[in-house]
Amino acid sequence: MSIEVKNLVKKFGDRKVIDNISFKVNDKETLAVVGFSGSGKSTVLKLICGLISKDEGEIITSPGDIAMVFQYSALFDSINVADNISFALRERRDLRKKYTEEQIKDIVEQKLELVGLKGIEKLFPSELSGGMQKRVSFARAIVTEPKSILYDEPTAGLDPISSTLIEDYIVRLKEETNAASIVVTHQMSTITRTADRVIMLYNGKIVFEGTPEEMLRQDNEYTKQFVTASLDGPMKMMEGNNDE
Amino acid sequence: MGMLHKYYKQSATYKVFIALIDILTDFLDTLGKITQNGICVIKSLLKGHIDFKELIYQCSRFGVSSLPITLTIVGMTSVIVTSQVALEMVKQGGGNYIGMMMSILIIREVAVIMSGFAIISMIGSSLASELATMRVTEQIDAIEVLKVNSVEYLFVPRVLSGILMMPFITLIAAAVGIIAGAITADLFAGLNYRAYFDSAWLGIYMKDLWVSLLKAVFFGGTIALISCSCGYFASGGAKGVGLATTKAVVWSFVAIVIWDMIFAIAFFF
Repeated sequence: MSIEVKNLVKKFGDRKVIDNISFKVNDKETLAVVGFSGSGKSTVLKLICGLISKDEGEIITSPGDIAMVFQYSALFDSINVADNISFALRERRDLRKKYTEEQIKDIVEQKLELVGLKGIEKLFPSELSGGMQKRVSFARAIVTEPKSILYDEPTAGLDPISSTLIEDYIVRLKEETNAASIVVTHQMSTITRTADRVIMLYNGKIVFEGTPEEMLRQDNEYTKQFVTASLDGPMKMMEGNNDE
Repeated sequence: MGMLHKYYKQSATYKVFIALIDILTDFLDTLGKITQNGICVIKSLLKGHIDFKELIYQCSRFGVSSLPITLTIVGMTSVIVTSQVALEMVKQGGGNYIGMMMSILIIREVAVIMSGFAIISMIGSSLASELATMRVTEQIDAIEVLKVNSVEYLFVPRVLSGILMMPFITLIAAAVGIIAGAITADLFAGLNYRAYFDSAWLGIYMKDLWVSLLKAVFFGGTIALISCSCGYFASGGAKGVGLATTKAVVWSFVAIVIWDMIFAIAFFF
């Protein structure tokens, strides 16, 4: 087990954004979390990586780092690609003196090679395309060899080809790092190409749990509405439109 | 009773009361956050957790980039004051006191407070908008996820640069202010430089100088701390960045005036 969530509850004011959800993600497994905008998907990721605090429930993770790839990459725009990737190695108290400059340079090169972007160390984030920024953020996320990787809408705002490339890298990073991964996404191709299992959230509750194939079979009213992008179904946009 | 309660809730008094409660809550919330960050900065400084590379960059940003506008504002203020009083003082036989008056005025108040205002508009607003942008683009979240203490990483070099650079800026501004006064007194009242500087020298007291530099230390640290805090806790996209910047400027202005009053009472009352 790498990530286990038990009876998790998160409230913003009086509103339950996450309402008593439980799931597990094992090592070398990718879980896709899907749902309409505002269904609480990103909140789940922020709770797991500790950016916001839970109100009730338990989050158990294996010892080791949790990495997160943000929706819009969140690269530090005042420093170059190499400094972005090596940020944790240079600034984290427990890692600061662990590596020499030469070692850091090698690690940066190695991580950039892993995401297919060798030789862009000196460029600044503003000089990169959206897809490249996303891949640099992948490299930054895996620099500390994390045990779990969280992806917040990794293909948002990308063209179909860049999306495919990003999906391939999600699979590749899972194989290379053996990490447990959670991918929050709206995109069907990301679900089918990267996920081993899927959970669907609606109004903070899990309304479907299964494999991508089971999701596509549309036996569940919720997944049927999601897959067919229909306005008719149990999910009402206004009801589910909570802030994440 | 229920109806009465409903009408009361619609009344202007109730709405004003609720608005005042909101303002007070926001004020206390901001003050609490600034204090919390201030304590964290002090702890980090005491532990010696200082990123010197970043500190040098922030010092150059704080000092060098703000110096032209600061010197212009202090110089202009000196010209405005001297041009209005010099001729009158010469007419009343007090020409020999112009330099003294200007040096006391500039060292005690004008240099430090005008530098503070210039720094708020140049650096404070820039710090607040920078950190607010980092917040709304999730860069601060990324720092936290990478297990780096974001307050220490972002605040310590910025606040320390304010503390270190503000006294230097104030000293240079004071010198420029006194020189600008001399040129103005010569042009407007025909007072020669020697008479002005002889008089100005008599008005320079060590106590004034030290108090002014101590004030500068407090002003610099306060401006940086407030500006960083307002940016750090921003939320809600472009509007949030704008609101954070406005809040930083307003709070910094009020804070340095309060500091100035405290110093005036403590040292000159």
